Amino acid sequence: MAEPSAAREVVSVVERGAAPRPGARIRVGALAVSVLRYVVLLVVVAIVVVPVAYAVLGGFRDAPQLAADPVGLPDPWVWTNYTDSLTSASFWMQLRNSGIVAGLSTVVVVLFSALAAFVLARREFPGRELAYTVFTLGLLFPATVAILPLLILVRDLGLLDNPLGLALPEAAFGLPLTIIILRPFFRSVPKELEDAAAIDGCGSLGFFFRILLPLSRPALVTVAVLAIVSSWNQFLLPLVMLSDADNWTLPLGVTNFSTQYTTDTARILAYTTLALIPALAFYLVAERQLVGGLTAGSVKG
Amino acid sequence: MVATRWRSLGILGILVMVVSACTSGGASSQPSGGASVAPPASDAPASAAPSGEPSAEAVTITWYHIQNNDPGLGLWQKLADEYTAAHPNVTIDIQVNENEAFKTKLTTLLQQGDIPDLFQTWGGGGLRQQVEAGLVKDISADVADWKAEINPGALSMYEVDGKNYGIPFDLGLVGFWYNTKSFEEAGITAPPATWDEFLTTVETLKAKGVTPIALAGKDTWTGAFYWAYLAVRNCGQAGMDKAVVSGDWTDPCFVKAGEQFKQLIDLEPFQEGFLAAPWDGAGSGAAAQATYNGAMQLMGQWLPGTVNANSGGSREMGEGLGWFPFPAVAGAPGDPFDGLGGGNGFAVGKDAPPETVDFLHHLVSLDAANQWGALNSGILPTTVGSEASVTDPTMASVLEGRAKAQFVQLYLDQATTPELGGAINEAVATLYAGTGTPESAAEAINAAAGQ
Amino acid sequence: MATAVGSRSRSGRNLRTWGAAGLFMLPALGLYALFVLFPIVQAARYSLFDWNGLEPLDQFVGLANFERALTDPTFLGAVNHNAVIVVLTLAIQIPIAIGLALMLNRRFRGRAILRLIFFAPYVIAEVITAIVWSLLLQPDGLTEHFLTAIGLGGVYAPWLADPDTVLLALFFVITWKYFGFHMILLLAGLQGIPREVEEAAAIDGASRWQGIRHVTLPLLGPTIRVSVFLSIIGSLQLFDLVWVTTRGGPVNASNTMAVYMFDRGFVRFQFGYGSAVAVILFLMCFVVALAYQRWVMRRDMEGATTYG
Repeated sequence: MAEPSAAREVVSVVERGAAPRPGARIRVGALAVSVLRYVVLLVVVAIVVVPVAYAVLGGFRDAPQLAADPVGLPDPWVWTNYTDSLTSASFWMQLRNSGIVAGLSTVVVVLFSALAAFVLARREFPGRELAYTVFTLGLLFPATVAILPLLILVRDLGLLDNPLGLALPEAAFGLPLTIIILRPFFRSVPKELEDAAAIDGCGSLGFFFRILLPLSRPALVTVAVLAIVSSWNQFLLPLVMLSDADNWTLPLGVTNFSTQYTTDTARILAYTTLALIPALAFYLVAERQLVGGLTAGSVKG
Repeated sequence: MVATRWRSLGILGILVMVVSACTSGGASSQPSGGASVAPPASDAPASAAPSGEPSAEAVTITWYHIQNNDPGLGLWQKLADEYTAAHPNVTIDIQVNENEAFKTKLTTLLQQGDIPDLFQTWGGGGLRQQVEAGLVKDISADVADWKAEINPGALSMYEVDGKNYGIPFDLGLVGFWYNTKSFEEAGITAPPATWDEFLTTVETLKAKGVTPIALAGKDTWTGAFYWAYLAVRNCGQAGMDKAVVSGDWTDPCFVKAGEQFKQLIDLEPFQEGFLAAPWDGAGSGAAAQATYNGAMQLMGQWLPGTVNANSGGSREMGEGLGWFPFPAVAGAPGDPFDGLGGGNGFAVGKDAPPETVDFLHHLVSLDAANQWGALNSGILPTTVGSEASVTDPTMASVLEGRAKAQFVQLYLDQATTPELGGAINEAVATLYAGTGTPESAAEAINAAAGQ
Repeated sequence: MATAVGSRSRSGRNLRTWGAAGLFMLPALGLYALFVLFPIVQAARYSLFDWNGLEPLDQFVGLANFERALTDPTFLGAVNHNAVIVVLTLAIQIPIAIGLALMLNRRFRGRAILRLIFFAPYVIAEVITAIVWSLLLQPDGLTEHFLTAIGLGGVYAPWLADPDTVLLALFFVITWKYFGFHMILLLAGLQGIPREVEEAAAIDGASRWQGIRHVTLPLLGPTIRVSVFLSIIGSLQLFDLVWVTTRGGPVNASNTMAVYMFDRGFVRFQFGYGSAVAVILFLMCFVVALAYQRWVMRRDMEGATTYG
């Protein structure tokens, strides 16, 4: 079926929403709702986009412009904030480091969480709820307080100045949220599927990898995106775990634009806009995975 | 069911204990510099010997400073290169961090026992805490023959119980920076010399439609300057020492300081939205002054650089900005030239190799200090004789104020412990936010000091 | 263990032994115990001491830190603020997220871009959010200009600078930043609802709104309940955004428990006291979590629609 244009979409929505008995009154009512829907969407979009645009455009100004006229557009357009960052080797190095750490921590957290959430969702065993509760505990304790003992632990393991020294704690602290999110999704896959798989000779692990995971793609992609974003913006952990500037991640790079006495807001805005792009790009790619039906057709027959 | 539940709990508990037993060597379960077993990050074989003559073996010095941008960054690097050229057996590992990041970083370094050999310090109570924890080397003997090269007032801020633990390279004075253009427009011909004249100046500016004062209310240490200066005026050096050193904040002079501050606050002299204005950056107090939305600002010697950065090069350092010292308070016991200020210095880690002090001497030598002065940045060097290198006229007037001051009180949130300092800033903030009284503020400070 | 994972026998599908289930959980459990539980237990230990982070850990004070926190008006004020934020979040942020998720679940052109736009605030670093919104809300900023332009100039006030309004202004910024998180969660949940079910309801004569109320939302129930749970806990633990935007001020008017904890613990070097506050915060969240699981989420785990 061809993708309907927006205008036709409104009409088809109206038709779908209306009772199968067409009537002018119902159509107008539904149309008003649709218009309202679009207005609301537009307002929300404006509220969301304006600050982001502000941040992006702010990078094209400099401190005096920001001080003199907080509201205005760049005049003149200052390119150096962006170009300086894009041409500096340290920016790309930090980008690479952030990517490595985010990638590692996401793979670890999603895999480990999925394994755990699987049995927490679909198996009965003594202490199951206790184990689940223990996992949720990590969400309830402010992680910043644990930073000192965590640091000493990482140092004792010899993982300072090492991406694993960042990725493993990040993954560990991401386990509670990921398990909490995955468990209801795993739970909702019908037992019949599992029974069917077993009849076909597939054990638990096989069911897990060949059926459950593919079916849970929206959930997995969601937690992956959340894990990546969380790792991408981490500041405190890299600050204390990394010393060598070659190992810095992107958030640490921002501190270069502040000194003991000054803060260059415009450069900060430019830099963080650049840092934002990879994370958003990843989300765009991952978002494709969120679309597309799944359980449709799986239970039939 | 209960039995199995306990069994699960027990197994889990064992798991945690096993894990923690495997990972806690002696060092990690006893977090402190003193009891640490782990070796410091990078150190020389010769460091086991007490500080005596430097050895000729290879030595590495880890150095943490916070001048993370040029020109300071480049100047430190140059000085380090000079030293290593003259002493080929020495390698200097320079770690640069931004101000706030450094504070966090240092905490964690000290926590895990990796004490840097040479690191940034602001003196006062913070340094004292580190000294009392046994993390800083007593360098009194090492510097005895050259400490006379350093401004004695500045040097005293880095002493603890009479012993030297750090050497300053910068000391500035807090004073009033004002937009000369605004004063001209309001018909003010001379900066106020007394507190009453100051209040009149504020009223005059306000009547002319000029915002009298820019204040960065979000960073509460800026407002605390007013109260601290009034305290210095009303309590004098004796009163300040009694409070800061001995912990006795009960003297009524502190309430008096609050009352006088309140006189100013009641005139509503600050820019709109000042309670949310940060010190620097967009929307800040510095930006406000740069755009003439605040004629005066009570701030340290770094302000011109920041104002300049916020005003697009249309103002050269100090251009259009004048400086006058904090006014005298009639009838107050304190010396009218007493100052409030602070700066930067370096402390030596307890396990540092002996070459470190020698290197430190190089960093504060007259030649180095002159180079700092010539940069006309926010750093006002403290090496005796280097004052002449500061050519900018307004900076020079700050130096003059510094020279006239017999007593310079270190910023209160640095002179006392971080704990008390935070409480002071917070208590003073209640005054200009309108939620506290001079009495309640003094009381809150007293209570915090008692803890 | 005897019952091996992946065994081909029919008994392989009944993993009732603790051991086999444990094997699946082992990687997560191991990582978790090492990097989360152990540091947390250590940090909790600090709460019994008076410790400035530098000296040896030897000034045992028992429960004195806890007593101090529970009698400190600043801390109690922070608890109050957290409670306000929890209520506001549940009343405003969740419904908005649900509404937007429903809207974005239908296919229409530009949907992908819209989803991206709505998720963007969540991706932006907290410090940028703080800078941008401070600029937007400050006097002579965009908000004032905009309100004046549409004739509502009198409405404007520097909300972030007034102790009476700062919490609400902050809540607005918080909603802006985090609604995308809940939206993406709910979208994933909506993806799991088969189209046929909704279409069947429409065929049976239900209006769009009735379809949503009686079919979609109940099926979305488990996800909504997870979202609400995370909201509550997130509101109680609120730190990053508050810290960089207002630092809990002015004069503690927007203080939260976690901001208070960080300020006292890290900035003021009272690690023992800060740890005590963290333990109090943890216990609060623990009680909430237990109660929530027992009464709200239990139904999701006991024989819900498709399982059991």
